[in-house]
Amino acid sequence: MLRIAIIGCGKIADQHVLSCRRIVGCEVVALCDREVLMARQLGERFGIAACFDDAAEMLRSAKPNVVHITTPPQGHFSLAKQCLEAGSHVYLEKPFTVTAPEAEELIRLAENRGLKITAGHNLQFTLEMLEMRRLVAQNFLGGKPVHLESHFSYDLGDASYVGPLLGNRKHWVRQLPGQLLHNILSHGIAKLCPFLDDRVEIIASAHQSAQLQRLGGEEILDELRVLIRDASGTTAFFCFSTQLKPGLNQLRICGPVNSITVDHASGSLLRHVKKSYKSYLTYFVPPLKNAKQHFRNACVNFANFLNGKLHQDSGMKELIESFYQSIQSQGPPPIPYREILLTARIMDEIFGQIYSRKQAGGIAVITGGVANSPLVLPTP
Amino acid sequence: MSSNNIISTSDRILITGSNGFIGSKVVEILLEYGFANLRCFVRPSSKLDRLKNILNAVPAGKTAEIVSGDLLSRDDCRKAAEGVSVIYHLAAGMEKSFAGAFMNSAIATRNLMDAFMEHGHVARFVNVSSFAVYSNLKMPRGALLDETCPLEDAPQERHDAYCFGKLKQEELVREYGAKHNLPCVILRPGAVFGPGKKALSGRVGIDTFGFFIHLGGANQLPLTFVDNCAEAIVLAGLKPGVDGEVFNVVDDERLTSAEFLQAYKQKVKPFLSVRVPFFVANGMCGLWENYSKWRQGQLPPVFNRRRAAAEWKGNCYSNQKLHDRLGWKPRVNMSSALRAFLSQYEQAPN
Repeated sequence: MLRIAIIGCGKIADQHVLSCRRIVGCEVVALCDREVLMARQLGERFGIAACFDDAAEMLRSAKPNVVHITTPPQGHFSLAKQCLEAGSHVYLEKPFTVTAPEAEELIRLAENRGLKITAGHNLQFTLEMLEMRRLVAQNFLGGKPVHLESHFSYDLGDASYVGPLLGNRKHWVRQLPGQLLHNILSHGIAKLCPFLDDRVEIIASAHQSAQLQRLGGEEILDELRVLIRDASGTTAFFCFSTQLKPGLNQLRICGPVNSITVDHASGSLLRHVKKSYKSYLTYFVPPLKNAKQHFRNACVNFANFLNGKLHQDSGMKELIESFYQSIQSQGPPPIPYREILLTARIMDEIFGQIYSRKQAGGIAVITGGVANSPLVLPTP
Repeated sequence: MSSNNIISTSDRILITGSNGFIGSKVVEILLEYGFANLRCFVRPSSKLDRLKNILNAVPAGKTAEIVSGDLLSRDDCRKAAEGVSVIYHLAAGMEKSFAGAFMNSAIATRNLMDAFMEHGHVARFVNVSSFAVYSNLKMPRGALLDETCPLEDAPQERHDAYCFGKLKQEELVREYGAKHNLPCVILRPGAVFGPGKKALSGRVGIDTFGFFIHLGGANQLPLTFVDNCAEAIVLAGLKPGVDGEVFNVVDDERLTSAEFLQAYKQKVKPFLSVRVPFFVANGMCGLWENYSKWRQGQLPPVFNRRRAAAEWKGNCYSNQKLHDRLGWKPRVNMSSALRAFLSQYEQAPN
């Protein structure tokens, strides 16, 4: 039985406890939050008695095998380091760390101590993403992807999240190098990383939407576009938007033979197969084939709902379960460290481009200017 | 307004949530009663039109302070509570998550009470809670729900984060009253309505499934018009001899859910509503709840028997204590209140 502890008892901690409860062979034994009342409210609702306000004391007393760190990102590095040094495996919520060098140090420490660490990129483990991985592993694409597109939308109408940070420069989200973007976009970037080499060129451009301007967003940027190209020529486009309606959360992988579109909003996957039709048939047959795929997706989702596989947090549960299995079997972690590091480096570079240029006054990012000077990232 | 108050009109009063639907009305009534030393606490991102209109309408409003901050910050709480005699605490955590609701209700209240006791001239802490804290699960239909009724003991099962936040907030206030002698009063308003709040109370029904399901039927609604509710809140901060008391706030005249819905449809817009009796709603909620448990939350238990009871089982209500102990009288009768509520749709159709 794996003994689990959670540090940081805010909103996301509920999902972690609920996911752990659906996994056989583990038990949440301790909760920790700097504000002990937060730990107690979670413990009271889930029947977890051991509540702490000091991580060191919790580690000493509860001796957890795995610690989930669900605090604001600024605390990730020091807490994860403390947990690893105490001999616990670590699940770090996204974003993994505030900067890439911190991510490198944590991974190095985990490897040196024979422990596992992972990032909460749970959108990579939803049912449709698992199906995509299966197809890619079967070489459905016909080779290394030629081009990738990742769209990630966020609704500013969610006042419970955006409201508190507007007008409050001390809010922890606004203390992050990438501010609002930093706390959200790692999901969208992480999905690209399995298909990219370690050396990438990046061009990032960001601006503030008119809606955020009206809401008093001050210096916060909420519209981001990124072009990426790796050393072997695979290109990627990443779009983060608060304005796209209806919200778009998709990954498109274009291979040399076939392509795949994964749509998170509908939990579906479309295969785009290379096949030509004569004359006007090209206008009739492919749409019908797409309709058949949509119908199949609906049936699969319904079947998964009935058999209990389709769950609101299926991605998180799958990731946590895979992580625990990797600990118990001493196998590879569910997210390769290379991908975690690449995600962190790409994010660092994006924020460097969009915020440093803005501060320097060289690029009018607020009005949509393009930041140039691509940068080749060093290999680890 | 009686001069038999625990504070004088020159004493400083803090109102949190002062730009809100009820809070702005509390400010208006305090100004009307001659309290000029008001400190209005608002969130940094608040649009202050409503509050500024009220403050600009009377000369005393010009001397009111507007302080913006976050009650989760102890520094901001200190700034808010410095030199204050009475606090009207209306700021509420409206978040859907349990942690968010707890943080913005309970933790914020704890911070504010600590700051008040350390930096204030403590006369009274008025905590505005809600009817949501009650549980009528074990009460018969139509039973009297008053201040002595049981509180919800399983907010997680009810899947009601707001209820949880308010319960924990009340717990802390009672604890500070008992352990630290903080003079406090708790008010639990029913369904507050009035111009400035357009949504129909969930006690009438829901439109979750694309059409309106009328679940309240012939139940009495615990309505309180915003002016009447604010009057009760103001009195709770001023009247002597009520420390440690809890007051339910409902108006004298009470409409049924069907009457309220009919008036709404006639004035605002006709729309299809399907009446579902309580036993059916309760049964469906039970099925949903059981499925959710069986499938470990695959469907979140948003519909469950505790919620069904709290919102649609139906009770009758009393405001006797409000009359007797606070000398409260409604400022606006129900027909005028309903007219004022519905008139907002004429001014700005939605």
